[in-house]
Amino acid sequence: MIAIGLEGSANKLGVGIISHPSPGKPAKVLSNIRHTFVTPPGEGFLPKDTAKHHRTWVVRLVKQAMVEAGVSINDIDCICYTKGPGMGAPLQSVAVAARMLSLLWQKELVGVNHCVGHIEMGREITGAQNPVVLYVSGGNTQVIAYAEQRYRIFGEALDIAVGNCLDRFARTLEISNDPAPGYNIEQLAKKGKVLLDLPYAVKGMDCSFSGILASIDILAGDLKANPDQRDPLTGEVITTADLCFSLQETVYAMLVEITERAMAHVGSNQVLIVGGVGCNERLQEMMGIMAKDRGGSVFGMDERFAIDNGIMIAHAGLEAYKTGFTTPLEESTCTQRFRTDEVFVRWRD
Amino acid sequence: MANQIDPEFPCSLTIDLPLPTARLASAAMQALRVDKELSPLVRRSFSTISTASTHASKDSSLVSSSEETILRTEYKATTNRMLRVAVNGFMESMSVVLGVMEELDVDVLGVEAPK
Repeated sequence: MIAIGLEGSANKLGVGIISHPSPGKPAKVLSNIRHTFVTPPGEGFLPKDTAKHHRTWVVRLVKQAMVEAGVSINDIDCICYTKGPGMGAPLQSVAVAARMLSLLWQKELVGVNHCVGHIEMGREITGAQNPVVLYVSGGNTQVIAYAEQRYRIFGEALDIAVGNCLDRFARTLEISNDPAPGYNIEQLAKKGKVLLDLPYAVKGMDCSFSGILASIDILAGDLKANPDQRDPLTGEVITTADLCFSLQETVYAMLVEITERAMAHVGSNQVLIVGGVGCNERLQEMMGIMAKDRGGSVFGMDERFAIDNGIMIAHAGLEAYKTGFTTPLEESTCTQRFRTDEVFVRWRD
Repeated sequence: MANQIDPEFPCSLTIDLPLPTARLASAAMQALRVDKELSPLVRRSFSTISTASTHASKDSSLVSSSEETILRTEYKATTNRMLRVAVNGFMESMSVVLGVMEELDVDVLGVEAPK
């Protein structure tokens, strides 16, 4: 069976076409293309502009995806789209396109939960059996484990997502958002050496990032006002690279802690990292050290599948479709809030 | 239009969009009416009508048909500002609808795989 998936919950517009050849055989990616709405340094992406970007690109991306996949309308079994969670206007702009395709092509619609899309793609690509999932992106930070046909949230960010913290700090520093602010923070952090004191906000199985962001913003302001600042402990000159380094070390240590707590809780030693922040090599390294200590391992993916994409929506949607799930047209709305555990995962036992 | 003005929603606008076929007009209507209007200060309704039933049929150079190929969208709002915001949103969604019709319909992409 073949499905087309449309994703646009944040600033990435993705269209993917996936084939599920037969039970037991791995899924085949027929096409997976994406266009990102990149804002100027110092600016974030607002819903209205992001929706405009998606409206401008959706038709040509679908066309290109069909050509690359070499499939025809007859070959497509269903049209999957991101129902939520995410930003309202961008989600809706993509849903309108999905509905039109459904009506003109006479194919059923499947509304997909964005978080479940990430998890299912991670499972498929890495082959991880039953890992604890760390889902980290600009919009979401959740520690998830599968139990009895639901992806249960064991821990999460209480205020802002870890990616949001990093992205907003990139704005403070006014570094480029191309290809992604988090990527540029990571490159800058590689040159950092001084570990500055930042709040460490783990609260049980959850964590909080807004206080850390406020702290690091203050440090950045201090550094801008006084560029010759030295670290009181080591006497070294502090640079923006040190700020990035300190921020990453702090927030990633927090994520490793709450992931480990969930692993101990469920008795798993495997970690699957999904979401855009999962591309970060330092996070993968730190998580790997913890997992190895527990006799386990970390599973991750590259940017094709870790960053928001259409193929994960097609994949998760097709899994649901095969169990008989469809979204009637009248119900093909979008929602900004859509909890991961709201989805009944009928396709797993 | 010759409708009575609703005193609670005095600012109104009717947009008639002619499309090539009734199939396209019906698809556009079904796709657009799923999303509820965001503001309680705005009311909206969709329908499809035929060229025979509009003023346009008075122009003898246009061919009248009983096919419902026109998408009629009626907006009414409490203020002109709310009306403008709602209609702008409609136009933006319409651009996606038209784009899909123009470039991704079955006769454009081809239902069969290229040989």
